[in-house]
Amino acid sequence: MDTASVVEIGRPSVRRDSIWRSLRGPLKGSEYTWALAFVVPYIAVFVTFVAYPVVYGLWMGSEPRLYPELFSDPIYQKTVVNTALYLALGVNVKLFLALLLSGFFMRPGWWMKVLLMIFVLPWAVPQITTFISIHWMLNGEWGFLNNMLYTLFHVEGPHWLNDRWTALGAVIVSHIWKWTPFWTLILLAGRMAIPLEIRDTARVDGATGVRGFVHITFPLLANLYLICTLLSTIFLLGDFNAVYFVSGGGPANSTQVLATLGIRNAFEIAQPRLGVAAVMSALPMVIPLVIVLMRKLRTAQVQL
Amino acid sequence: MAHLTRRSMLRGSLALAAAKTVGGPYVARAAATTAAVWFAQGFVQDEDVALRKAVADYEKQSGNKIELSIIPFAPERQKIISALTSGVVPDLVDSNPAEILQLYGWQDRWVDVSDVVESQKGQFSETALVAAQAYNNVTKKRATYGVPLRAAVVPCHIWKSLVEKAGMKIEDLPKTWDAYFDFFKKVQDNLRKQGERKVYGLGFQVTANGVDPYNLFMAFLVAYGGQDIVTRDGKLHLDDPKVKQAAIKAAAYLGGAYRDGYVPPSAINWNDADDNNAFHAKLMVMDVDGTLSTEVAIKEKHPEWYYNEIVTHGAPGYPNDNAGKPVPSIVGYTNGLIPKGAKNVTVAKEFLKYFIQPKVIGEFVELGLGRWLPVMPSLAKSPFWQNPKDPHLKGYVQQGLLGPTRPDYYVFNLAMAEVRTQHVWSMAMIDVAKEGVKPEAAIDKAFKRIGEIFAKYPMA
Repeated sequence: MDTASVVEIGRPSVRRDSIWRSLRGPLKGSEYTWALAFVVPYIAVFVTFVAYPVVYGLWMGSEPRLYPELFSDPIYQKTVVNTALYLALGVNVKLFLALLLSGFFMRPGWWMKVLLMIFVLPWAVPQITTFISIHWMLNGEWGFLNNMLYTLFHVEGPHWLNDRWTALGAVIVSHIWKWTPFWTLILLAGRMAIPLEIRDTARVDGATGVRGFVHITFPLLANLYLICTLLSTIFLLGDFNAVYFVSGGGPANSTQVLATLGIRNAFEIAQPRLGVAAVMSALPMVIPLVIVLMRKLRTAQVQL
Repeated sequence: MAHLTRRSMLRGSLALAAAKTVGGPYVARAAATTAAVWFAQGFVQDEDVALRKAVADYEKQSGNKIELSIIPFAPERQKIISALTSGVVPDLVDSNPAEILQLYGWQDRWVDVSDVVESQKGQFSETALVAAQAYNNVTKKRATYGVPLRAAVVPCHIWKSLVEKAGMKIEDLPKTWDAYFDFFKKVQDNLRKQGERKVYGLGFQVTANGVDPYNLFMAFLVAYGGQDIVTRDGKLHLDDPKVKQAAIKAAAYLGGAYRDGYVPPSAINWNDADDNNAFHAKLMVMDVDGTLSTEVAIKEKHPEWYYNEIVTHGAPGYPNDNAGKPVPSIVGYTNGLIPKGAKNVTVAKEFLKYFIQPKVIGEFVELGLGRWLPVMPSLAKSPFWQNPKDPHLKGYVQQGLLGPTRPDYYVFNLAMAEVRTQHVWSMAMIDVAKEGVKPEAAIDKAFKRIGEIFAKYPMA
């Protein structure tokens, strides 16, 4: 018998055994089968509903010829500027207001609870009907706002949705109005998680009012606030409803954002790949955001 | 009682599998007689009722089954595009949007339906037959991919009551193009003198949303002599001085009317339904808008408006051009389309053959209150369309079926569909209306963009 050949024949089976053992880990007998039975449905759902759509989207937007076509669209540059403004103002104003309001709603009293309930209503009502109502309310000719201005002050209000800046302003304000209650609740929960002892000790040391907020509350909330900012930025980047239903992307396509441009390219111009490319062009901003968010979530485990 | 053992389970499973194999052909046969059909929801419920009736009648006569999905207009468009992108397609769809026929015909994605159209070829209008074709960029040939089902043009809807309130008569409407539209400026001037603060003369969709602004601009372009912008061979003629002059005049008239305050200011951001709503709210005296949806939408709730207060076109009918010659109306068609990859092409074709029989398709458009036009001239002579008591239908069918018509330009070259969806004409109108740009400069910019778009669709 040739010894060398025996060694060679034996090697793959040894390797297979070690891989198999490392896959099984400490599990024995039927435990491994049960573990597989629990994991497989999760993997199937993940692959079907998470991995496949993402890979399909990346594949659809992977043709290099799409991007020169996208960038040559006369409205693309304006759309990028609108998206940046929408993100910068929409996220920061909303979260700053939410931070202040969360402090207001920390006050004791039953009426504060009633007020909080009323305050969250904009967030609770369906957003499409809300945004359509705002669109009608801002109509220059028969909208509620201008009619009220005329009835009360005999002033002809502006045509809010006929100008790029007032229309974009209307979109941003609508978004802030709709989503501030949600983030207020999140930050309120964050404030409530600050141990009373810390606040009491700070108060004894003279850190009350603004000083208490600057030196105690905000540092403890900072991480949560940053995570909210990152999450809100990601949500807002994909927000279609506020723009589509309040300004319709108009006038003259001047208030489109990347999310609405993507839908326009995909279904109005009937070029789905160009639509995906419009959304994909935001990836250079989304990926760093997601990375920072993941890192922050990890450090958040040891902070408030 | 028998005990359930592993062996009995195996026996049972094998028996079930065997039964399924024997029963298989029945299921297969059943599948072969079923077709999935998608159709856009109507503007009024009667349209859907009419479609369901046609489908039910077909099922009764043929024994086949139609799985009909009636889907709202915008979601259906998205659904069709998504289906064609993914490759999982139904057996039959309506052309929503209309240019989808040419768009996916270019990519060789439709089944040739010339055999279906052939079954009623003598009945269809010439314009409908041309509009059912598309250029296939794979075979480098034109072919018939659509089966014409219904049609629409862009009529003029007028509040007769507002004209009379202004101290004028609808019978005094001039017959030539500019004078016809100028008439409504005078109506507005008179109404303002009476203290009507917010009634405008003209409902022009000077906007960059939906399909209305393109249809409006094209109607003016043709009326001013620019009908040869794209010829039947698919060639673009931006260098034709007649075309350029017509485009400049159209941008000047439409944008100028807005700039001068004869169009509601909100028109600059209207979508397709907003002008209908504004018209019903009597915000403007007249509206130029596709189909008779404006009228049929209020027929049931406000019959007095339908019969006494609103007229379509008015006394002279659709206006002539400024030289007094009839203006051809651009007709948009809803075609039946069978995607390549459809499982039951045979049933889809059979259903279409049934559906386009003059009696069936005629009843379909009439039950839908006449919002859409028939595609066969013989159907225009029915008592429904010629009803002397109806102030809308006769003028509408005259404009879109019996009078001079032409297909839309994307039928000849797909690039024109992108000109429409990118709202190139809208931007020219808005430049004049709002930005103070001279019509010549606005059209130069538009022509440059149109040239760029056409360069993407080279035709053999």
